[in-house]
Amino acid sequence: MSSASPSNGVVQNDPSQSRPQKQMTKAERRELQEKQRAAKAAKATAGSQSGGPAAKPPHSVAPTSQIPRKSTKGAETPSQGRGSLAAGSSGTSTRTTKDSRVAITEEAGGRSRGLRIFSHFALQKPASYVPKGNVHPAIVHLGLMFAEFRICGANARCIATLSVFKRVIQDYTTPPDNTLSRHLITHLSVQIGHLVSARPMSVTMGNAIRQLKLEISGSDIDLPEQDAKDALCNKIDNYIRDRIIIADQVIQETAMKNIHDGDVVLTYARSSVVQKVLLEAWAEGTRFSVIVVDSRPMLEGKRLLSVLAAASIPCTYLLLPALSAVISEVSIVLIGAHSIHSNGAVFSRAGTALVAMMAKQHSVPVVVCCETYKFSEGVRLDSFTKNELAPPGDPFLSLPSSRSKTTQNQSNLEILDPLYDLTPPSSITAVVTEAGVIPPDSISSIPLALGRLI
Amino acid sequence: MNTLYSNSTVVPSGNANPINDHDDAGERGFDVYRAYQRALADEDISPPLAAIHSLTELVTSSNAGTMFELVRALNDGAETLKKRVPNPIGLTAGCELFIGFVTLFPHESASFSELKREIVHQGKSYTSQAIKFRTKIAELALGFIKDDSVILTHSYSRVVTQALLHAHTRKRISVYVTEARPRGLGLKTYGLLTAAGIPCTVVLDSAVAYVMDQVDFVLVGSEAVVESGGLINAVGSNQMAIIAKAENKPFYALAESYKFHRLFPLSQHDLPTHNSGILSFPHSMNRSATTQTRASPRLTDDVPDGSASASLPQRTMTLEQMNRNPDVDYTRPDLISLVFSDVGVLTPEGVSQYLVGMFAGL
Repeated sequence: MSSASPSNGVVQNDPSQSRPQKQMTKAERRELQEKQRAAKAAKATAGSQSGGPAAKPPHSVAPTSQIPRKSTKGAETPSQGRGSLAAGSSGTSTRTTKDSRVAITEEAGGRSRGLRIFSHFALQKPASYVPKGNVHPAIVHLGLMFAEFRICGANARCIATLSVFKRVIQDYTTPPDNTLSRHLITHLSVQIGHLVSARPMSVTMGNAIRQLKLEISGSDIDLPEQDAKDALCNKIDNYIRDRIIIADQVIQETAMKNIHDGDVVLTYARSSVVQKVLLEAWAEGTRFSVIVVDSRPMLEGKRLLSVLAAASIPCTYLLLPALSAVISEVSIVLIGAHSIHSNGAVFSRAGTALVAMMAKQHSVPVVVCCETYKFSEGVRLDSFTKNELAPPGDPFLSLPSSRSKTTQNQSNLEILDPLYDLTPPSSITAVVTEAGVIPPDSISSIPLALGRLI
Repeated sequence: MNTLYSNSTVVPSGNANPINDHDDAGERGFDVYRAYQRALADEDISPPLAAIHSLTELVTSSNAGTMFELVRALNDGAETLKKRVPNPIGLTAGCELFIGFVTLFPHESASFSELKREIVHQGKSYTSQAIKFRTKIAELALGFIKDDSVILTHSYSRVVTQALLHAHTRKRISVYVTEARPRGLGLKTYGLLTAAGIPCTVVLDSAVAYVMDQVDFVLVGSEAVVESGGLINAVGSNQMAIIAKAENKPFYALAESYKFHRLFPLSQHDLPTHNSGILSFPHSMNRSATTQTRASPRLTDDVPDGSASASLPQRTMTLEQMNRNPDVDYTRPDLISLVFSDVGVLTPEGVSQYLVGMFAGL
């Protein structure tokens, strides 16, 4: 009975089905699940094909969307809590076979109760990659890119989202008896819902979308539709230009002044702004060297390293555990941020807090480069209340392939991989924004001073 | 607050320029530097105010036709001043304040010359009002001085002296003032306070830690208060702040609002006054040998006691040795309890909020 392993997804006609579920062994229950799932797959295939281009290989998609219902029916298989959604959404990735992916999600869905901590943001449901509602294909594509971490980083995600929204707006037609200013928002909300199901929204996306909704609801009812749409696309372009591109230029010029000849600059993972600052400082003739600190599983620092090395900047690359060996040589630490909060705490890639605290211990100034649109109302005191976990498996391909399987199939092992952490304001020396260099405790005064709501 | 930098003929800092240089502001005969020095001749005027004064005079004598030209002329004038004066931090703050004011000035006047007149008028009225800022600060500080307070202060600062003299009229205070080597400006404070009848004792710079637990709080002036909320003041202030923190004594800084500066130093060597000569080691042993023979004493004389006016120290640093030392240092905001200024009593974070409110719109 228990010889049928879950990894081959084979359904067996099992006479044990007649026994009540409680008395079955785990493996038997798993087989039962698979059989029922396969039966539903046939029915669901017809339904999901009407979902448009999003339902790519429909049979890999449909079973995963059945899993949460199955697991909540009382399967007591050990759970692997987070990212079942991501596992489902990456179901269309070609990296793993359809069957093993199905098996993983089945386990993942069933094991959600086992993850003791961070379970409050371990998403229980896998992404139904059957998009609900009228989702634009560009949005579906974007969702996939997000889920697979092809587009990664607060600025990149925001710009990508806004660019795709421009297409969505241009392709949109107001239904009769409706106004653009009201209905477009509903339409966009559907798109946003799909993106959020692929990967939780970043603060930058949230701020930009809020601004966009404000612009839409303020658009003139009497304008002909095409004009209104063009005006909105214009506003989106202006937002990107003013609050990201130009802000980055101002930050570049300001932060560059803190790098002097002979300095050793330390940076962590990969921040688009810090990359720009370093390249610009080098282009201006300052001769410094860079230490890039990186960490698993994302290993984003490698990309930064290749960009800097291509510009002939002398670089050292090391992993986070080795930080204490080099920290005494460092003159300044430059880090980027995902978002910054009213109390001056910086939410950034997991590991940043360690770098900042270590630098502070050694009296090395820590400078955060952050645009004002990353500002988030509210006070955050720890990395615990709100975070995002990396999807299970090895989406970043940072391990050799032979190892990735073994870490998953052990029922006693749960991998916990938060993507972000919070750096307290006491570890930060200065924050460089386009409004100037500000001490972290005074961050909350910036929006008011600039006459903005956010 | 050190005023001797621009007036004294002995300018110890490494990058001093001779006073009568050929290249001046380039304004048809108007020498902004000389105007600056003229303004500084008044004892009551501090470098930032003198800078505003000289820039106001520059506006009067300028024949710029548009706002753009005027602002550019002002910026050129400010650059000249910064180059000439060895310690430009205070005057930079004043320059930026004035240039910011001019840039944001509403252009609604009938003609450009009328606009210039209006600017000059505003500039002059600001400088005359600014003199009264110290009175305001002295009044604010009074609330924090209890009867029988023992106060420690550093070197010489006009605003601190005024605050202490004002407090003396209402309460009993006694003051320790540091000698503030090598300029010895603490003795000037000692003279002024003693003349007013305040019990005052000069303390060695090295005895600050010794005296700290006798003290109720520390009161210092400032050359500039920076964006981080930190303080730039005569060298020795940072030391005093660290010791005050270690002994849990409040550390108060008095600063007029025109000394608030958008600079953000990340460390001591991040200050604009820092040059490579400071704290450097001598190039050759020969040179250091000769300086030592010049300075070496023959007698084993005693260290003078607490009152420096009793006997002059036999050993002093040579000019060259003094040049290797900084004139100002930077005190971090977490060491400062409160900043008293004419815009109110601010926490160090509040300083940044004020600066952002003033300058972020530019």
